[in-house]
Amino acid sequence: MSASDNMIPAPAVRSKPLIIRHLPYFIGAAVLVALAASMQFDGYILNILLQATTFSIAVFGLSVVLGLCGQINLAQAAFFGFGAYAVGLGTADLHLNFWLCLVGACAITLVAGAFLGMSTLRLGGHYLAMVTISFQQIVTLVMINAVGVTHGPDGVANIRRPELFQSSQSYLAFCVAMLAIVGYLVWHLPDTKLGRAMRAVRDNELAAGVNGIDVFRTKVSAFAVCAVLGGLAGGLFAGGFAYVSPDQFSFAESIQFLTMSLLGGVASPIGSVIGTGLLILIPEWLRFLKSVPGLYLAIYGLSVILIIRFMPDGIWGFVSDAFTRWRAHTKAPPVAGALQLKPATTGGDIVLEVTGLSKHFGGLKAVDGVDIAVKRGSVHALIGPNGSGKTTTLNVLSGLYKATSGKIVLDGTDITSMAPHQRTAAGLGRTFQNIRLFRSMTALENVEIGAERPGNTMIGKGDDALTERAMEALTFVGLGNRANELISSFSYGHQRLIEIARALASNPTLLLLDEPAAGLNSTEKLELHELLKRIAAQGLTIFIIDHDMTLVSEAAQHITVLNFGRRIADGESMAVLRHPDVVSAYLGSE
Amino acid sequence: MDLVLQLLFTGIGIGAVYALVALGFVLIFRATNVVNFAQGEFSMVAAYLMVVCVELGLPYWLSFVIALSGMALLGVIFNLGVYYPLRHRTYLPVIIATIGASILLSNSVLAIYGPQPQVLQGWFDTPGIQLGPVYLDSQYLLIIGVTILLVLFNFWFFEKTLLGKKLQATSQDKEMASLLGISVSTMIMITFIYSAVLGGLAGILVAPVLFVSIQMGSTIALKAFAATIIGGFGDVAGAIVGGLALGVIETFGAAYISVPYKDGFAFLVLIAFLVFRPQGIFGERVAEKA
Amino acid sequence: MKLTRREFSAGLAAGLAAPALMRSAWAQGATIKIGMCVPVTGPAAEQGLWAQNGAKLALAAVNKAGGVLGKQVELVIEDDQTTNPGIVLAFSKLAAQSDIVAFLGSIRSTQVQAMAPDVIKVGKPVMIGGTNPDLTHSGNPWLFRFRPNDNYSGRVIADYGVNTLGKKKWAIVHSTDAFGTAGGKALTEALTKLGAPPVLDQGYANQSQDFTPVVLAVKQSGADVLGTYFTFENDLGIFARQLRQLGVNIPWVGSPSVVAVSSTKLAGPALFGTYGVADFAEDSSDVAKSFGKAYRDAYKTAPDNQSAWPYDAITILSAAINKAGSTDPTKIREAILATQKFAGAEGEYNFDKNGDGLHGYNVVKNDKGKIVYDKHIDFND
Repeated sequence: MSASDNMIPAPAVRSKPLIIRHLPYFIGAAVLVALAASMQFDGYILNILLQATTFSIAVFGLSVVLGLCGQINLAQAAFFGFGAYAVGLGTADLHLNFWLCLVGACAITLVAGAFLGMSTLRLGGHYLAMVTISFQQIVTLVMINAVGVTHGPDGVANIRRPELFQSSQSYLAFCVAMLAIVGYLVWHLPDTKLGRAMRAVRDNELAAGVNGIDVFRTKVSAFAVCAVLGGLAGGLFAGGFAYVSPDQFSFAESIQFLTMSLLGGVASPIGSVIGTGLLILIPEWLRFLKSVPGLYLAIYGLSVILIIRFMPDGIWGFVSDAFTRWRAHTKAPPVAGALQLKPATTGGDIVLEVTGLSKHFGGLKAVDGVDIAVKRGSVHALIGPNGSGKTTTLNVLSGLYKATSGKIVLDGTDITSMAPHQRTAAGLGRTFQNIRLFRSMTALENVEIGAERPGNTMIGKGDDALTERAMEALTFVGLGNRANELISSFSYGHQRLIEIARALASNPTLLLLDEPAAGLNSTEKLELHELLKRIAAQGLTIFIIDHDMTLVSEAAQHITVLNFGRRIADGESMAVLRHPDVVSAYLGSE
Repeated sequence: MDLVLQLLFTGIGIGAVYALVALGFVLIFRATNVVNFAQGEFSMVAAYLMVVCVELGLPYWLSFVIALSGMALLGVIFNLGVYYPLRHRTYLPVIIATIGASILLSNSVLAIYGPQPQVLQGWFDTPGIQLGPVYLDSQYLLIIGVTILLVLFNFWFFEKTLLGKKLQATSQDKEMASLLGISVSTMIMITFIYSAVLGGLAGILVAPVLFVSIQMGSTIALKAFAATIIGGFGDVAGAIVGGLALGVIETFGAAYISVPYKDGFAFLVLIAFLVFRPQGIFGERVAEKA
Repeated sequence: MKLTRREFSAGLAAGLAAPALMRSAWAQGATIKIGMCVPVTGPAAEQGLWAQNGAKLALAAVNKAGGVLGKQVELVIEDDQTTNPGIVLAFSKLAAQSDIVAFLGSIRSTQVQAMAPDVIKVGKPVMIGGTNPDLTHSGNPWLFRFRPNDNYSGRVIADYGVNTLGKKKWAIVHSTDAFGTAGGKALTEALTKLGAPPVLDQGYANQSQDFTPVVLAVKQSGADVLGTYFTFENDLGIFARQLRQLGVNIPWVGSPSVVAVSSTKLAGPALFGTYGVADFAEDSSDVAKSFGKAYRDAYKTAPDNQSAWPYDAITILSAAINKAGSTDPTKIREAILATQKFAGAEGEYNFDKNGDGLHGYNVVKNDKGKIVYDKHIDFND
């Protein structure tokens, strides 16, 4: 046996139980818990540590919603407050068991977070910021004014802790243990199906949708997870300090949570802990500036500006960036077999049947009564001059636009009114003219998201099967050896291939390609042509839009031609290309 | 009926304050696609500048000119220090930076001037006029008047002057504007200056009514923010109408439903708008997703 | 000679600990330390400054008279940021310094409530200015109040309005924070006992920019006297001005903020003729007068209750430690509780078993911008 045989990485690397791979983490966490339990802290240090620990868990929530999913939440203090009041009122007034209250805190915040998310997450950016601020303000007002329930501004005193952790020291150890467990889950989240979906939504909502991800549900989930972590943290906080009052959960605190998250690095739980620790400690360190009122908060404000300016990914982002790049290049991809494409064949001879399809923008009829019938196993092209309605047609087909009228049937299923991710589940795969990949991920992760399509019969259970399928697809387009590189390190042509691999991994019934040759050089075009032949050879139906007549005429057996939103020709390739209307549409008619 | 008229006047008066600050929000948002969380602090800083000048014994009009010039300078510094370095990033870092700026500004004033609230005399010597059953506060009358003038001025400025048109072009399409030879960064600089001056003007006008304190800006700014959403983000007329509507809703809500929950009405209306009519009262220009 | 391991480690521990012990012994020898949590930043930073002024004034007097137990007294100040978490941290930071013998807490009741669990754990006396009655009535033996609690302010406002001014139709306006809510409740109870239940009980949220709806509610209620609990002076100023503008000129008896220095400055003529209860009134006694003079000499402005209570707290605490003859917390506690008929700037201190030192208020009047002393109303229960 030669040494080089040993160099081939075993495909089983992933299947080693996670618990064992992450053993160092758990040992480290156990040491921290032991330290928290055994070191003799004075009251001041104890309070600082308790505050930092519980706040960190709340900030984990932000790292999920903001870091993973790219949605803003300016009401984390409100969720934190929900949790704190649940435990506070539960143990102090209703004399319930602490654990019961803590579970209740999580349940309440889950519902509140999901509800808030569902009502507003269809809007993005600034609107979301505004709604969460409003929610925050209303929660604060209710806490202050609903005296009968919340005790109003007096706050809730005599909050109890569990029997097991009566001393402050043991309670701190308990909180550190919770921090370690939640931190582990959040750390691991990006590698789960939900986590990948969140990252995809953050990187590119449109592409996420057409790759089978329910964008709205993913956002709501992220929001709910964030809220639950806020609630859990608040519950622990209440038990730790034995007293809560409304001013601890105000808008200013939400801003502080956000700043903590950004300072440490929004993308990782480690960043959350760093940011939280620093923002609790910095004002404490700067107390010597107290002789001038306002000075240290002024410096705090200035630091926020400087950090955002010079360390956009936060402290941990700054540190880990170099590490990630280094790791991406050194980790060898697992071995992959040949890609199998087995398009579903439930319907009849026609895979895609479009009848009377129209899309109007106000008065503009971008697509007007178009009929298309794509035969199973064929390569069918849609061509037309600029502005003829090709891309609009494709966007209506994949569900990014709603059809004004008409009907779309895919493999026997009417998909006319389905959302993009539902169409993908029904068997549609597509690429974009201007490439839409998930930029923060590796090539492999991008393709894994494709492979994860609901209803993909070609993958088995578990992460290993997913990785294997994705590797097969990447190898199929010739990029298997670079699977673990970030998207930014690939050339434009290769990015296009990754996008195709992403669609192939999902084993679609029909593949829509939107100008796949755009921006490619002649060698790359040849490669693309070869690739299309190999795809077609496995029986997958391809519907292609392109300007490149050479590619279209060589690859496609059937062509539909659009002009001014209407179909002007349809039929066998050569015949269509010689059709006088087509010629005049392209060359201009007198 | 007397009651309703009195409430209406107060509502419009306080609404005009929101509208003035909201205008500053909208201008910056249109030019840069960023919500400036330090907009309220602009008002606060200007009011303090005014107090300092008046205490130095300068005439009121001169103090006014100095305070607004100071705001123009602050607009320049704010643009160069907070917005410009981050202009190529997403809206999130910029929002955070403006939050940092707001903490910096309010606490710097606290460090320099101390925490005591200050009194600033109004423009007029008479505090107000009794018009039948309704008492009209002279300072509120002034604020309403200035708001009307500003609406007219903005219309003239943005529709009739070359500079205004250039600013419009920049806010609608930066690439196109730069192709036309408009210096985008100059236009953004002008926007920040104008919006700082507007914020300052609002601060100076409300100071005699609400007193001059460190917190005066942030409370108004949050409402003004809500007003911009109600009016439709990025719409100048919307900001004015949104501000006035909010002031009136709030005042009547407080009078007929609940005083302690007064601040809640603003945000409830806001959420209702976001859920049912996210484009605001006037917003037609909602971009199609591509 | 052979060292056993135990002897060795004991010696090692002693060697390690010795410098620390010596340092703390030296520190203890030099001064008696009193910790003080006070807002240096945040919305109440202004009042925090006055509190420090008052405390420092008393400190200077105590030290000039020979200090405590023959040593000079030193004040260790921590910023509570005017927030509840802030004061918890500030107090625990002070409490961690074992050579601090006693503390001055906050004038804000919620802050005292927030730090109370830690106070019990630390087990050392804490002087407070928060006026929520519950603070000293919930079994915490270490809190000592140097201002009359809100039960008394409510009772005094009611007593003065009903018995002295002869008014029975009351409108109450109060902030919805802890201070205002508790005060409003106490006033309502006192009025009900006097057979004059209020015709209007109106709350408002702090930092309101406009009070027109509140003023109109007062006007419509037909009340002939107004009782108020305002937390922030700028709110009070706006309210007072709008009240006068809309033609409400009924007598007005309010909580201390009505006659506070900054309200008088902010609201100007709108507050002329109003009455306020004041735990501190400069003309109420000789001690108050001399405190007022010393304060003016030192800081060039008039003092108010924010500076008077820490002044009394330091004075009485120092005297109590001297009387106890030790810094033992229990002995200091007993000495404070034994303090009777002690004339302070705020009034005559007669500590009860709960730790409440004062049992009545002064009523003062705003006479064209000048705060003049009217009468003192004390209760025996």
